Amino acid sequence: MIVFEHVGKRYGGRFDALAALSFHIQRGEMVFLTGHSGAGKSSLLRLIMRLERPSRGRVLVAGHDIDTLHATQIPFYRRQIGVVFQDHQLLFDRSVFHNVALPLEIQGMEPRESARRVRAALDKVGLLHRERALPIELSGGEQQRVGIARAVVNKPALLLADEPTGNLDPQLSADIMALFEDFNRIGTTVMIASHDLALIARLRHRTLRLSDGRLAADQEAS
Amino acid sequence: MSREASQERGARKQRTTNSSRWRGWVRHHRAMSLDSALRLVRTPLGSLFTMLAIAIALVLPAGLWLMLDGARLLDAELDASATATVYLASEVDDEEARRIQQALEAHAQVNASRLITASQGMEEFQRSLGLEDLLSQLPENPLPATIVLTPVDPEPSAMRQLADQLSTVTGVDEVRLDLAWLDRLRKLAELGRRATLGLGVLFGLGVLLVVGNTIRLAVASRRQEIEVVTLIGATHAFVRRPFLYSGAWYGFGGGLLALALLVLGGDWLATPISDLAASYGANYALPKLGWIGSATLLSCSTILGWLGAWLAVSQHLASIYPR
Ligand SMILES: Nc1ncnc2c1ncn2[C@@H]1O[C@H](COP(=O)(O)OP(=O)(O)OP(=O)(O)O)[C@@H](O)[C@H]1O
Ligand SMILES: [Mg+2]
Repeated sequence: MIVFEHVGKRYGGRFDALAALSFHIQRGEMVFLTGHSGAGKSSLLRLIMRLERPSRGRVLVAGHDIDTLHATQIPFYRRQIGVVFQDHQLLFDRSVFHNVALPLEIQGMEPRESARRVRAALDKVGLLHRERALPIELSGGEQQRVGIARAVVNKPALLLADEPTGNLDPQLSADIMALFEDFNRIGTTVMIASHDLALIARLRHRTLRLSDGRLAADQEAS
Repeated sequence: MSREASQERGARKQRTTNSSRWRGWVRHHRAMSLDSALRLVRTPLGSLFTMLAIAIALVLPAGLWLMLDGARLLDAELDASATATVYLASEVDDEEARRIQQALEAHAQVNASRLITASQGMEEFQRSLGLEDLLSQLPENPLPATIVLTPVDPEPSAMRQLADQLSTVTGVDEVRLDLAWLDRLRKLAELGRRATLGLGVLFGLGVLLVVGNTIRLAVASRRQEIEVVTLIGATHAFVRRPFLYSGAWYGFGGGLLALALLVLGGDWLATPISDLAASYGANYALPKLGWIGSATLLSCSTILGWLGAWLAVSQHLASIYPR
């Protein structure tokens, strides 16, 4: 599903955020991405989303070198990926419901079908009762869950999550991880960047560890 | 399942997704046109200022154009007043003058003629100068008989040709055309037309800039939203749409205000204009814009607003995307 071939990413012409990165993620896998702050986790995810382009090497997703995507194809490529952003990226001028509905609205989905899916997604993250609230009225953890609902509402083939449990208590973190596992079970490829080493260790999925932009360890699922 | 059946099913699925995509597109257009209108209404003062700026930029060229349009009606009247004056030799008597008049009227290029005999000419001259006493003391009438001709074709070149031909007729001393002022007026009208066109282009550009700037600010205030929807797969068209509608609404509102200003201004100027025209003996009134003119003005301003928004959003999109 995702192939990195000797990928390097250099910001500003001097600093290598990622270097000589090669790995292969199968369709339907669930993978954790760890590493110290600044190791390059977010950069790696941004490369997959085609928000950045590699300075060196190739990134292949579903067999396609995504660097060759034409600018007009990129939106349609991104619609197949659900993303939970480290900084939520919610819109504060509209309700929780409309935030989650945004990916469906972009695709022009019929409102009734869209509402059904939005409620299902909100139900999964336990926020159905807050659908009318504005994001500003929610706690950090609740905002994060709205971001998760928005990422999964479209039933994407690939789910990327950048610190999805950063603001959550241990119980909620475990619940959210279980939710990602549910998605993985129905065939979604899931990649989660996280600092929560204890939780990661408990879940026993494949784990890529980055250190200073290099792959320090690739620990298979146990 | 047979191959054909599955293919047919695939085709049907394709059709339904196409038609649902089309419905989604229409829905988004409807939602965005409404949403952008509501945004304008929610900031009434700011919207009004932008629309007023557009209206003011439109009123000047539109008003000038109207005046010129009125002048074109005047053209016909001017053409009717284009005449050639034929001075007969001083030895020609009244009877011969009448014969010459008949000969001239037979010319294909002559529409009508009026004979002013030497004595009639003298009377008119005295009356117009108010110098009866002085002139009556002259021993003999120094004025020749004249024939005033209205040509079929009032164009200067045609009239010059006519004058050349008529001046060879025996008994004709000289043919004079009073073309200079007519010519000058025509050139003035042409100048006015070009100036209006130039002003129209400049002020159209002004509308573009006004809308462009307003939309640029709107884009800046919704930067985060643009970023987020782009992150989750919005096309440029999707991002542009609400702004294009805002621009079009600004243009439409500005056009409506411009129409109102034109009507008010027209009413305000109508009396002095017709008074002025009457003092020249002309029958001139500022024409009304009419349905077609109004529709043209409205569509122009709407398109300009749309275009200004397009430029502003495209500039913004171009500034974020190349990485
Ligand atoms: N747009 C950018 N321009 C310049 N440098 C950048 C940019 N984005 C990231 N970096 C640098 O690249 C390195 C990797 O950043 P990245 O955000 O990928 O780290 P991270 O592993 O996600 O860290 P964290 O756990 O704190 O989120 C950092 O040193 C960061 O300063
Ligand atoms: Mg990060």
